[in-house]
Amino acid sequence: MRYVILGNGVAGMETALALRRRDETASIALVSAEHDHFFSRPALMYVFAGQLALKDTEPYDRGLYERMGFERVRGAVTALDAAGKALVLEGGARVAYDRLLLACGSKARPAPWPGSDGPGVHGFVTLRDLERLDAEAKPGGRAVVIGGGLIGVEVAEILKDRGLHVTFVVRESWYFPLALDAREAALVGEHMRDHGIDVRLGANVAEILRGGAGSRPRAVRLAETGEELGCDLAACCIGVVPNTGFLAGSGLALSKGGAIETDDDLRTNLDGVWAAGDCANVTWADGSRRPEPLWYTARDQGRAAAASMLGDEVRYRRGTWYNSAKFFDLEWTTAGFVPVALNFDNTPLPRPEGVREWFQRVPGRPESQRIVLKGDRVVGFNMLGSRWNHEPLLEWIHERRELPWVLKHLPEAQFDEEFAPRFAVQPTAEVA
Amino acid sequence: MQAGLLNTYQHPVSRRAWPAWALSALLLVSYVLLYFGPMPKLGIPIDVFETLAKAVGLGSKWTLYGLAYTVAMIAGGAFVLRRHGNSPYQRVRTITVVLVQVVLAFALPIVLTVFRQKEYYFSYFWPLKIEYFYPGVILQQPFLIVAWSFLGSLVAFPLLAYFFGKRFYCSWICGCGGLANTAGEPWRHLSDKSAGAWRLERISIHLVLFVALVTTAIVWVNWAVGKQYPAFSRFAFQVQDWYGFAIGAMFAGVIGVGLYPLMGTRVWCRFGCPMAAMLGLAQKLGRFRITVKKDMCISCGNCSTYCEMGIDVRQYAMANQSFTRAACVGCGMCAHVCPRGVLKLENRPRTFAAGRQIRVVSIDL
Repeated sequence: MRYVILGNGVAGMETALALRRRDETASIALVSAEHDHFFSRPALMYVFAGQLALKDTEPYDRGLYERMGFERVRGAVTALDAAGKALVLEGGARVAYDRLLLACGSKARPAPWPGSDGPGVHGFVTLRDLERLDAEAKPGGRAVVIGGGLIGVEVAEILKDRGLHVTFVVRESWYFPLALDAREAALVGEHMRDHGIDVRLGANVAEILRGGAGSRPRAVRLAETGEELGCDLAACCIGVVPNTGFLAGSGLALSKGGAIETDDDLRTNLDGVWAAGDCANVTWADGSRRPEPLWYTARDQGRAAAASMLGDEVRYRRGTWYNSAKFFDLEWTTAGFVPVALNFDNTPLPRPEGVREWFQRVPGRPESQRIVLKGDRVVGFNMLGSRWNHEPLLEWIHERRELPWVLKHLPEAQFDEEFAPRFAVQPTAEVA
Repeated sequence: MQAGLLNTYQHPVSRRAWPAWALSALLLVSYVLLYFGPMPKLGIPIDVFETLAKAVGLGSKWTLYGLAYTVAMIAGGAFVLRRHGNSPYQRVRTITVVLVQVVLAFALPIVLTVFRQKEYYFSYFWPLKIEYFYPGVILQQPFLIVAWSFLGSLVAFPLLAYFFGKRFYCSWICGCGGLANTAGEPWRHLSDKSAGAWRLERISIHLVLFVALVTTAIVWVNWAVGKQYPAFSRFAFQVQDWYGFAIGAMFAGVIGVGLYPLMGTRVWCRFGCPMAAMLGLAQKLGRFRITVKKDMCISCGNCSTYCEMGIDVRQYAMANQSFTRAACVGCGMCAHVCPRGVLKLENRPRTFAAGRQIRVVSIDL
């Protein structure tokens, strides 16, 4: 049996490892154009900033491929020949498979504005993105970072750290409305400004201005005010899109957004072809079909895909939602259901029927806690500025705990280091 | 607002470029001159540091060394606070270890000599300071100091390591660890993370502990019966000298500090220190652990990279395994640098308060 895995990221590597654990003799090949070794994509910001060497971000030692008997094929794939059961590489070479996993990930969503095409407009998802940004980001320069999500704040941080003047342009009325409410985003916004970032909220980009066609960006013009933000480079961090352009015409079913349609067992519509990770369209708990662009779900999908490829009966479903991130020095943990408070068109989104929220700001520190209630039951947590263990939080949600019980036991789930201030209910805490 | 660890690799002195080699050479030469004084055969007829100390009005080269060491720790401590002062653990730990150095290891010995007492370093203990259990030292010290020394080494420290981990000593009190965690900060990421280094560490550190025990025993036997057996007496003095030269001077000083810029800061603590070996055994049986949050690790490698003891923390984090490693000095940097807050240093009975068993996987020493 010959397994071929397209992609050397976390979904691909987890699949390869899981296949090897169950089948010692199978031929397993990993195909990638990006790098010879599996590395941690979320760590790329630290590589840019000189906190980690690229090698430090490789989770396994470099002998792993040989030890596991993984064949490495370094090259860009230009097409999938489903009838001939082979991947076609740039230059025409073919990689034949019996069973294929597509774990080709995602890439930065291309900038959609006039003037976006040309040098000096960057994404920050792949190693090539990193190398290009690294070559162009010069201390003393000016950068405009566009986008209100997690990659945007990371790029703002590392460019600022390198000594560029950074303007952070966010389309929505507040930063990261998918996860933060106005009160929480105000804390993050203040924190970013303290770090010297020029934060522009509710600002749509109209155009990227250049001296002439093919020359470098000169400014980013805002739609509402017409203001021109002078810059030497722009970073466009408005999300990711599946990296599936080369699959057009292969007969593979793709979603409107370009993600590979998969069944619950991560099979695609083509015989002997599976998909996992950022490029795969999966069913969410709410019934919607979207990719899950997360590190831990890519890993879980990889494991599920391996079981499915080995013939197990598999039904991939992610458990209750949780995530964590860091905005400069501010840490954020979320678990369970946290309602989104802002519509895509920047209008307030009413809270779902029967949902209330317990909220407190901790005085003197950029720290807040939000607990989401359905009736008296706790269904979600959004914790900013302190560290929490999501595992007990999720357990309490599943155990249908009520607010007073949760508030009493919350200190047990706090995960801050020793000597850090302990969680306490503030007099200003309120349920609304 | 914190400087953090961004840009570590951009400084040539932190990435084994030529300034690192030059600094290492300077440190190595300084330590050799300090420990071995005049070396006429090498064309150095005078004791350079003794002469220097006298010239600036200090009693001896050891006072000069103590002063330089303490100043380096204060300056390094300020550097750490600038980088990591937003971490309460790093703040409290750094201030404590610098204060212990200033008061117990620097000021108090000077005060003792002013009062014409024998010099004594209250923050150092057997077997790290092996001579503190030698009869020659014990018999010259007042009872209270002897009691302090014995209670510390044999009773209090193993107990403290059992309940809080060896960090209470290795990164809160000890001057060797103190220098590593202050002035040595720019090099903490250079520790060797390979499996081979781990294997070597387990052999070498326990071997040094064994040699320290044997050396102490030989010195005591010599004290008891040396007069009747002159040949044994000569041998015992040779062993004592050899231990002082090979372990005390070469390993702990010349290699331990001299190679900071090339091999990281805890080479001595990890591969050689008998105290660390002893406390590590107590830690292994005890309550200290690093708890890992389930399925939150993004495998970025900050924890492993910045572990000064060369522990590949990321492997445990990726496997959702809370763990205790004998080598861990509990500096807390892995937990502090983790961008997803996955790690937590804890001293706990091995269950959560809610009564749920947690996964503790003790791989081995």
